[in-house]
Amino acid sequence: MSDTIKKMLIANRGVPAVRIMHTCRDRRVPTVAVYSTPDRLSQHVMMADEAIHIGEAPPIESYLNMEKMIEAALRTKADTINPGWGFLAENADFAEMVLDAGLKWVGPSPKVIRMMGDKIEAKRIAQKANVPTIPGISDVKEVDEIKEWMDRDNVDYPLMIKAASGGGGKGMVKVSNDAELPMALAQAKSEAKKAFGDDTLLVEKYIERGRHIEVQIVADNFGNVFHLFERECTLQRRNQKIIEEAPSPSIDENIRHEICYTAKRLMREIGYTTAGTVEFIFDISTKKFYFLEVNTRLQVEHGVTELITGLDIVGLMMDVVEGNQLQLTQEKIHMNRWALEVRVNAEDPKTFSPSFGTITRLQTPTGPWIRVAPGVYEGADVPPYYDSLIMLIMASGRTREGAIKVMDRTLSRNLRIEGVKTLTPLLLSIIRHEAFKRGEFSTKFIESHLDELVSMFKEKDSQDEVLKIAKFVAEITALGPQEWM
Amino acid sequence: MKAHEITKDNWIKPGMTPGEIVSFLRELEGVALTCTGMRDAGQSDFKNRHRIYDLSTLCEYYEDMLLFSSECHGGARWHVGIMNRKESPFEEIEILREKMPSVMLQTLIRETNLWGYRPYPKNVIEYVVERVDIDVWRCFSFLNDVRNMRTVAEIVMKRGRLFQPAISFTQAEWTTNEYYMSVVDDIVSLCGGVDEIILCIKDMAGVGSPERIRSLVDAIKQKYPELIIQYHRHATDGLAMPALLAAAQAGAKILDAEEDSLTRFYGQAPILGLQAYLEESGIPVVLNRDAAIGAVQKVREWIGHYEWAESPFKGFDHQVTYHRMPGGAFPSSFEQAEKNGFLHLMPAILKVMSLYNKIIKYFDVTPGSQITWVTCSGIVNKYEKEQGESGVRHVIKLLTKFVEEKNQDFDAMEPHEQEELLQLFRHAPGDFRNLLLGGYGRLPQGWPADWVYKSTFGDEWEEKIKERDDSSPLDSVKQDDLERIKADLGVTLGREPTSEEFTLYLMHPKDAINYIDFREKYGDAPLVLPTNVWREGLKTPGDKVEFELYGKPYSIELLSVGAEHEGLIHVVVKINNKTKVYKVETPRAKKVEIRMAKGENEIGAPINGNVWRIGNPDRGTIKVGDIVHQGEEIANLEAMKMENAIVAPFDAVVEEIAIKLNDQVQEGQLLFVLKKLD
Repeated sequence: MSDTIKKMLIANRGVPAVRIMHTCRDRRVPTVAVYSTPDRLSQHVMMADEAIHIGEAPPIESYLNMEKMIEAALRTKADTINPGWGFLAENADFAEMVLDAGLKWVGPSPKVIRMMGDKIEAKRIAQKANVPTIPGISDVKEVDEIKEWMDRDNVDYPLMIKAASGGGGKGMVKVSNDAELPMALAQAKSEAKKAFGDDTLLVEKYIERGRHIEVQIVADNFGNVFHLFERECTLQRRNQKIIEEAPSPSIDENIRHEICYTAKRLMREIGYTTAGTVEFIFDISTKKFYFLEVNTRLQVEHGVTELITGLDIVGLMMDVVEGNQLQLTQEKIHMNRWALEVRVNAEDPKTFSPSFGTITRLQTPTGPWIRVAPGVYEGADVPPYYDSLIMLIMASGRTREGAIKVMDRTLSRNLRIEGVKTLTPLLLSIIRHEAFKRGEFSTKFIESHLDELVSMFKEKDSQDEVLKIAKFVAEITALGPQEWM
Repeated sequence: MKAHEITKDNWIKPGMTPGEIVSFLRELEGVALTCTGMRDAGQSDFKNRHRIYDLSTLCEYYEDMLLFSSECHGGARWHVGIMNRKESPFEEIEILREKMPSVMLQTLIRETNLWGYRPYPKNVIEYVVERVDIDVWRCFSFLNDVRNMRTVAEIVMKRGRLFQPAISFTQAEWTTNEYYMSVVDDIVSLCGGVDEIILCIKDMAGVGSPERIRSLVDAIKQKYPELIIQYHRHATDGLAMPALLAAAQAGAKILDAEEDSLTRFYGQAPILGLQAYLEESGIPVVLNRDAAIGAVQKVREWIGHYEWAESPFKGFDHQVTYHRMPGGAFPSSFEQAEKNGFLHLMPAILKVMSLYNKIIKYFDVTPGSQITWVTCSGIVNKYEKEQGESGVRHVIKLLTKFVEEKNQDFDAMEPHEQEELLQLFRHAPGDFRNLLLGGYGRLPQGWPADWVYKSTFGDEWEEKIKERDDSSPLDSVKQDDLERIKADLGVTLGREPTSEEFTLYLMHPKDAINYIDFREKYGDAPLVLPTNVWREGLKTPGDKVEFELYGKPYSIELLSVGAEHEGLIHVVVKINNKTKVYKVETPRAKKVEIRMAKGENEIGAPINGNVWRIGNPDRGTIKVGDIVHQGEEIANLEAMKMENAIVAPFDAVVEEIAIKLNDQVQEGQLLFVLKKLD
């Protein structure tokens, strides 16, 4: 039963909205952008076929506002809502509202979202499907419960407290000792409440120096489930990924086979449809992997998988939503490249403090083996209310080494962003670091090497330097000779 | 070797040992020249504002001029460089070395005061002198206290560089040949003989009459015939040329001169004229005249940009033999007088200086000249403020009577005059007090009379005299903890300082930080911009400035300058082919004052973010006067949906809450002022 998408409202902004519009344009599906007041001149607004204002700056009044979103779709006569990632992407209630309004929803069923959105439930299901999980306890309210469990199951610090309905690093707090525990619990609770409207928490043993590996799955309504291999997302800061790659340099063919088929099995078990990801933590010393969670949406880093497999995941999701059978066979899905992605966030590369303002100049990288997923344009504003991601840059190569070289060239000689600070210097230091090149890193890599990475920040660059000189000339031109001269 | 046989190949150059240089000069028939065009010329007549951008255009000529050395470093050039020109003395040396590799670079250093105005600890002197790439180290003491030169001499000689101890010269009853011979004896003994040094006679005010100089050089040569003597002389009294000739005739081997086109009134003699005058008098001069003419011409291309920096007091001044203000201090003193509105008092101040010189005896050269200047201008200003012009006339009369009529016999003065003298130095600056207490070393003619101490310190004068220290600052100044100072600087900069930045900081902490900030903000603007653009910017739309950066061509073209609106001016420029708008704040811009947290009692924001909670859920909002406990959350910032708890670092009372709920705060912005509980 084919049910073609006629017009799609993208319930998102910035990079994900722009990314989805690209595929929509390929398929000649008209798009509707939604925007909050400060976003009225954003790139996603300009790029869409039409746009609709949905509210003021605070997300709760705009991009998180479910009623307004549905209303916007109905008013613009869109028949499909694509949530992208973040905001309402993993909100089962919203998915239900979309379907109830007679619209198509780009994502798995509300039931699957709800099931996997509850970390405790997800873990239980994984255990039932014989997927290995990390020791932990669910639905934690008091410090004493945690201590009791630690005694009983002989668990040591560090621990990780997570929001049961969380994701994206929000509501996740690491605890290293007894003293930190009470405040960490309170913080996780508050963040969880604020970010997800639900303060149910779970506590797990924290796997030190773990690798973060995830498997991309696509599945249709006909029982076909495919994996598109894994991605390595170990490099994080404050539990947010900043560099991802596919395939993973941490595992061999045997483990790859095992982890991909485990993920497929789980997703088949839960009746997953469209595209989703199964995240694992991989303990490099014991070569064991543990289930972390299922992301029931398009991932930020899906592009690297597209690069190595040649598939369009956004398009595959639309195929499934349109009721088509996926024209794939597992044997014919190959990876023939290595791909690397960096997240260009508008943040101070030393302190990670967010950097807002106008992008006064943007030179988008070009050249062989580069893919850019932009969220801004020259002259655009980066408002302080939302995620700091402004651009994804992907580089590919026949080998990992080749991909790293492409990324180095891209970041060091090709990209220019003026007006806001970005993570670029840090990203460049990371991919130039010997340990990264050897593939030896953990989720702690950035925090434990931060000073070293900062000291590797690139030396002076004539383009940056000339701007300083021009600033001086402009000031003296306006103000005349200065007292201090 | 004869002067006309000298070529670039057989001439003195960097890398020769001091012994080789001295032997070479002993064999030389005739005199060689040091060109002060890159330092003292600018310091004496242009407030040290000559930029390396312009000076470096002279390098190609210097490279062929056959100079003994180029004095391009030290004195006040270091400090003015970081304060006013925003150039580092280290990058200047680097540029000069690259552009004139065969020329000996010379500095002027003030013994323990280095390139600053106070005695530095011994370990700072060692650290700094070890790190400056200079070939000839002219070192003087404003007290002629040779002991104070020891550390500089040791380091320079250990590095195999040429040490050039200087005797500070002035014309006074007590500065006899016998006096100077004792100073020279001390120098020869400090330096282990005469084979590895050049002795400089530093006539920094330009007061040595030709016959006085002839006699002094002769006296030194009689006792130390093998000692190479260099005569450094300012032109202030108008008698530089004959004095230089007299010095050369008496046996001085090297003379200081500057480009004729740089010559004004207080610097050195004109180089082309000096050569002609000496040769006419039968003294051959080592100088490639064509190259020198090239340098003189080159100066004319840019010297017009510095008219603003010239002293408002123009013309020679033979009265300098009384007031003795050194050439290097002339323009800066007049600048200060002009800036502070007492230019009209200058004649009176110079008169008071000439009388003061006879009461407290040392040499008017940095830091002594600053002490003299600040003390004397302070006295004159005070009298003018309190009693007007007649007061100024009165104090001059009083001092003239005391010094000239009564021969400084305090008891011979009337009681009310004594009273007045006993108040004269009561408001003298700290450096003056420090000088009287021996902070800079021994005074050349002993300590001043007791009444000076009574006048300066009042009732405490006897105690102060007991505190007076006869030793050298090398022994009396406490060593600095260099590691700690470096760490402090690192904290201020937020990064590891380079060794050069640290050296600048050791010399002038506050100014070094301003300089480093400036260069982080404006990059190489001081190095690449022509002087007219550096000072005035681009004049009219279409004007442009072109330069190279890392070998790449750049041009900055002015497109438009907007009218001032609410303290902002929009300046549109084209950088190569890209247009860029700069919003320039004028002094009338509305400043949103953001208080930053300082010290441990002030709690700052760890990140940029939004204050979404003050207090914590357990106790609710926190108010001024509340007691908070160590580790307790006192506020929470949110940025990009992440929470950041602010916790009390110790048990404390909340003294001030500097923010409101939902304020957007900057990293480092003050949130709370706490008072520690015991």
